[in-house]
Amino acid sequence: MDRSLIWTIVAGVLNIGIVLLVAPLCQGVLRKVTARVQSRQGPPLPQPYFDLLKLLGKEDIESGQTPAMQRFAAYLSLATVLTVACLVPMGFAPPMNHAGDVILLIYLLTLCGVCTLLAGLAAGSTYSLVGISREMMSMIALEPLFAIALIVGAVHTGSFRLDTVLHGSVYTAAGVPWSGLIMLGVILLSFQAFVQRVPFDISEAETELMEGPLMEYSGPKLALFKYAQMAKLVIYSALFVSLFAPWGSALVFPFGWLLFWAKVLVLVLLVTLVAATHARYRIDQALRFFASLFAVALVALVLASYGH
Amino acid sequence: MMTPEQAVVVAILSCVAGALLTLLVSRYKTVAGWIAFLVTAGTAVLIFSAALRVLTTGPSLHPAAFWALPKIGFILRIYVDGLTAVFLLLAAAIAVPAAFYSIAYMRHYQDYGVGRYYPYFLLFLAAMYGLLSTTDMMWFFFIFWQLMTLPGYALIRFEYRKRQNVRAANKYLLMMQIACVATMVGAEMLAVAGAAARGSTSLMYDFDTVSANLPLLLRDQPIAAAFAFALFLTGFGIKMGMWPFGQVWLPDAHPAAPSPVSAMLSGVMIKTGVYGLMRYFLWLVPISALADYPLARWGMLVAVLGTITLFTGTMQALKQEQSKRLLAFHSIGQIGYILLGTGTCMALLAVNTPATAALATIAFFGALFHVLNHGLFKGLLFLNAGSMLHSTGTQDLNKMGGMMRYMPLTAVTALIASFSISGVPLFNGFVSKWSIYVAAIQGSGSAHYLVVCAVIAILTSALTLASFIKFFGVSFLSRTSALVKTRAGATNGHLEVPWMMQLPQVVLAFLCVLLGVVPAIGFRLMQHALEASRGGLGTTLANASPMISNPLTGLAQAPSAAVFAPVALAAVLGLMFLAVYGISKLGSASRRAADPWLCGYVREADCHRYVAHNFYGEIKRYFGWLGGAPHPHPEKTPVVKELS
Repeated sequence: MDRSLIWTIVAGVLNIGIVLLVAPLCQGVLRKVTARVQSRQGPPLPQPYFDLLKLLGKEDIESGQTPAMQRFAAYLSLATVLTVACLVPMGFAPPMNHAGDVILLIYLLTLCGVCTLLAGLAAGSTYSLVGISREMMSMIALEPLFAIALIVGAVHTGSFRLDTVLHGSVYTAAGVPWSGLIMLGVILLSFQAFVQRVPFDISEAETELMEGPLMEYSGPKLALFKYAQMAKLVIYSALFVSLFAPWGSALVFPFGWLLFWAKVLVLVLLVTLVAATHARYRIDQALRFFASLFAVALVALVLASYGH
Repeated sequence: MMTPEQAVVVAILSCVAGALLTLLVSRYKTVAGWIAFLVTAGTAVLIFSAALRVLTTGPSLHPAAFWALPKIGFILRIYVDGLTAVFLLLAAAIAVPAAFYSIAYMRHYQDYGVGRYYPYFLLFLAAMYGLLSTTDMMWFFFIFWQLMTLPGYALIRFEYRKRQNVRAANKYLLMMQIACVATMVGAEMLAVAGAAARGSTSLMYDFDTVSANLPLLLRDQPIAAAFAFALFLTGFGIKMGMWPFGQVWLPDAHPAAPSPVSAMLSGVMIKTGVYGLMRYFLWLVPISALADYPLARWGMLVAVLGTITLFTGTMQALKQEQSKRLLAFHSIGQIGYILLGTGTCMALLAVNTPATAALATIAFFGALFHVLNHGLFKGLLFLNAGSMLHSTGTQDLNKMGGMMRYMPLTAVTALIASFSISGVPLFNGFVSKWSIYVAAIQGSGSAHYLVVCAVIAILTSALTLASFIKFFGVSFLSRTSALVKTRAGATNGHLEVPWMMQLPQVVLAFLCVLLGVVPAIGFRLMQHALEASRGGLGTTLANASPMISNPLTGLAQAPSAAVFAPVALAAVLGLMFLAVYGISKLGSASRRAADPWLCGYVREADCHRYVAHNFYGEIKRYFGWLGGAPHPHPEKTPVVKELS
């Protein structure tokens, strides 16, 4: 067998394994820190692992009229997230570098969200549908933001390759990289929304919509959706770090790699702190916020096309 | 053995003969249907063999002349080159499923005979074959255009007892005549000025003559030439549904026609406008005239119009609550992508370096591939909408819900089509959009506005997804509506359409997936098409080799800047799916069905359902100024009242 293919497979399995292992840990950190900020004791760090294991064994109640679609959506949601994990650098170059480019990445990230939508639609509860309507609206507003960040990198480097773009490419302008800095600000301001945390967890909104699209889910399916959501936090953080904070990745093996994950952890902590100290926005407020970010991002994009 | 040109003429004549035959037997719905299908299939065989011969062994050396009155420049010249072949393939590929679907579908019209359906259907098809292959820009252009418009008019007002259908048909007729006049005046200007410059009126309306005279005309009378091209853009823009013309007629006309005709209108007919645009703006202009031809400006105009078209069309579609009206607005939206691709191609061709020529070809591939893909998935979606209409008797999405349980096959094909049109990877719509983005973003170094157009297109792609999540979700998923419950009760749960309506849907869905997973088929086809249509600026496109396409390893841009390997992606996704399935079985959890929790309400009533009308309220409000009201006919009661 071709040697590079074997390496690709090994790296892919490694990436998927890391995401599966680290995601619940990040969730544990998130819950612990949130609790401490709110003067609570908080669950022990490995609690999310136990939660997932427990959910896998619990009764699976299907309340929708098309259970086949519910199952399909549940399996596909985690499967898509794991596939995306192969397209994202996790301290090394992305394993599926030769199978897709940044445009594919943009669309696959959207597909992750689509599975949740299908799941909620198949369950058919009115609360789910309200949640879906909101989730889809925020996806419409959010997708272009990350797309613009990636495209700014692509315009600067003249390439769509994942390893080229996902390597601090937004700053590769002559002189001060204005477009990159603007996009850094835009993505930092909208990052909570990408990983669906407070103040932008509008579609789940457990106090009013009772988890929205996932309301009717229980048992193994809920475990899969939860797992996918935790993995998303890791993947988006890894994307952010490799696109906007690539410094130090060139260090020799264990140091560069450790630095990468340290940066991811810092980002997770940042997300946690923001989430713990903010209240949820209404959907119309959030949309207006994203729209103004989009306008700013367009400016960055035009700057990038002129080489700034 | 027939030449490709003879094959096209035979196909046109057999359609006309078939039209007469179906008129004679129109009292027997099924017999007429089968005859129409067999004629369509027969012409499709002719067209396929002709097109494939052109694509593999190259076109004939000269157009074939069939019927001439040289005094007034009246001559039927037919020429099948690569570009024509691709559009002919599309017409035949959509017509056959549509005709087959019609056989069973037309039975449910109790009070309308098929005597005003099948003959017009076949004439309509014949006209499209003709319009796509004639090289005469005046007489036969007019004849085929009218032959397409008038049967189209009759088909749109098929249910003539509904007033809004007649109104839609009248609007369609008016717009098509304006388009016809605009295009013919443009052709007349080029032809007469060209003939005067050359001093000879022989074949003055022929494509080759006009093309040969064009360099002189562009140099001496640039304003007149620009005016003629603007008329072409207007004429073909009306036909294809470009903003602002499309909104006038298209959203009314497509829902009024019977569903298989809607599939033909949206899948093929509006593409003749795209064909005209490509043919007149790219193939008509010889390379030697490039210096005098403001290609960069035309490209910018087309790309910007395309961007406006795709955004407005899709945003208006998001507001719709009638299944076929929603799809019609999406036709405008998707035409916007095709226009953006074509405009990008033109803008980049104007730069005239090898690198931009390669990008221009990628943009052209994206546009042409989207023509094919849109034909397939929109044809399928209209057949889906037809099946929904057939089973529930309504186009109103607010009254539908939970139909997947009763119509699983229609649901799965509708999901495939929805994924395709939203550009989900591994379905065909993604590949063509991907090519357009690649070209537009990389070309932004030469034309800065393109990158903004590309981002708006990506944003619109999310809007499309939103619209189809609604379309698919509220009709097939969600909870069973009162109407569907009644219908299912009346038919013992047999809501699914008969196999003769299922089969065309399955075939089209299969093609959507096939082209999505193995896009190399489409790219090879288009590469052959470009090589078989060297003429005008098309020669530059044919000489560039922008993409390495391989059925297994997918597509890669020559300097390996953009890659897409769908087979590898599908394999990884499939493996992950199995792995996740394994994980979910680890705990060996038991399964149970239960009712959804309604926060303590005792029973579920129809008024508790969240329907199409309720979706995306905030976005609809912010873009209210964009128009496209969901209720075009206010005499109908609004939805909210029906529910309460």
